[in-house]
Amino acid sequence: MRMKKKMTPEMVGLSVGEKNFIKGGIAQDLRNDGRKRLTYRPIYVETGVIPQANGSARVKLGETDVIASVKAELGKPRVSHPDQGKVYIYVECSPTAEPSFERRGGDELSTELSIALERSLLGGKSGAGAGINPASLLIKEGKVCWDLYVDCLVISSDGNLLDALGAAIKAALSNTGIPRVQVREAASSDEQADVDVSDEEFLQFDTSGVPVIVTLTKVGRHYIVDATSEEESLMSSAVSISVNRHGMICGLTKRGGAGLDPSVILDMISVAKHVSEQLLNKLDSEIEAAERANEEEP
Amino acid sequence: MASKTGSTPATYSPSPATHKKKRIPIADVDWVRPDSRGFYQCRPAYLRTGAVSPAAGSAYAEFGNTKVIVSVFGPRESKKAMMYSDTGRLNCDVSYTTFATPNRGQGSDKKELSSMLHKALEGAIILESFPKTCVDVFALVLESGGSDLPVVISCASLALADAGILLYDLVASVSVSCVGKNLVIDPVSEEESYNDGSLMITCMPSRNQVTQLIVDGEWSTPKIHDAMELCLGACSKLGEVMRSCLKDVVTDLKE
Repeated sequence: MRMKKKMTPEMVGLSVGEKNFIKGGIAQDLRNDGRKRLTYRPIYVETGVIPQANGSARVKLGETDVIASVKAELGKPRVSHPDQGKVYIYVECSPTAEPSFERRGGDELSTELSIALERSLLGGKSGAGAGINPASLLIKEGKVCWDLYVDCLVISSDGNLLDALGAAIKAALSNTGIPRVQVREAASSDEQADVDVSDEEFLQFDTSGVPVIVTLTKVGRHYIVDATSEEESLMSSAVSISVNRHGMICGLTKRGGAGLDPSVILDMISVAKHVSEQLLNKLDSEIEAAERANEEEP
Repeated sequence: MASKTGSTPATYSPSPATHKKKRIPIADVDWVRPDSRGFYQCRPAYLRTGAVSPAAGSAYAEFGNTKVIVSVFGPRESKKAMMYSDTGRLNCDVSYTTFATPNRGQGSDKKELSSMLHKALEGAIILESFPKTCVDVFALVLESGGSDLPVVISCASLALADAGILLYDLVASVSVSCVGKNLVIDPVSEEESYNDGSLMITCMPSRNQVTQLIVDGEWSTPKIHDAMELCLGACSKLGEVMRSCLKDVVTDLKE
């Protein structure tokens, strides 16, 4: 039985000596847990954790633990885009992760994460570069479409929430089954169109286009990938880059107030592209293993 | 605001709401900009400080059809924070008037702009210069004609300078949209609604530092290089325009 009493930096704060130790280690490519600057913590993926949702996944990145669930409901397309379905991404930071998240405390972080995820996964206004193609959610143009609600919950936070959430959404989408619908032609051409939602047949989502998010945290003059919350408390700024399988940048968010030189940002983009390849492969194999484990269960 | 010239009719009959035909950009054909600008040409900027007299500082900006007014109050006692802090606090709020968008009330779902404005400005303000107090920045978008957030950010930094808050540098912001195969700078709302990707940079021109960068859509690395270079060039020019606007006020006072 492990008795672990962790004093998080948010509770006590790091001493000057500890800060210098971490910074010095990073400068020498050696982090507190023995990783190199560009190495991720071991990723653990479990799919199908929420039976009532259309798709769900739980991802553990070291001590960071997040759950993503996908629910599909019938809705009406927007007037401005009648040929597209709608996707909503919402993140909730649970007080179990941090006591300060109780009630309104986690709101700011939740909105920041939700917006960053929407930007990475939904692409440009015309739908280009979208991980989830809204046009595939259409049932009847202008009348009926699928509304996809992606809800994420942060259970435990040890840094790098955005990457873990991105991975969880990708895994949840590969686990998602949208019921097949048949449109019954309505007698009168009014707003309502009858649809038959099948209970048996499900269509799987194609997640090969879903990008993965890589957050590069700048500590001193070097960048690290997958920062723990200790390392995040030392950061001057962080850039989260979303890269898809074809090496295209699908979204970029800079976090932290400090200014960055433009050449540094361009350098970070190339580092992120390099790291994302390994992460994508690792994640895909983990998701496959999780899906297989699901099927083997009686 | 520009006044309309032309014959004034005896009676006024409102023209029916014209649903302009929406042109969807075609992949291989060059996009023609609605206001016949070049691709790398920004809209002419009209900037004026001192628009709101009770505020500590204020600015009004008009970039084509995008009209924004920003007022800054402070440093003053902060109502929210009870805790002591040896740096000042910045509080930003961006809101749209109900008549800012073609459909009434469309701007109310743009709540994330306040946090984006906060992130863009906090890197430029010397917060240590006003401990225990807070500075409020209120931005109001009077008309949304595209590229709203960059105009709000530039106008807000002008208002902060007008209020006398100590800044590391003015903050200039420009956005670029990828429409079809062309990169267009300073997009209007029509171009924004059909873009394949958009990139917004906020930078401090004299220090050559980027305080905020937001990219969405699909980009290849060389395209990002080009877009960033374009934006940074435009930001430094905008920074000069902002500086001359501030200097004009001082020269007017001297005369």
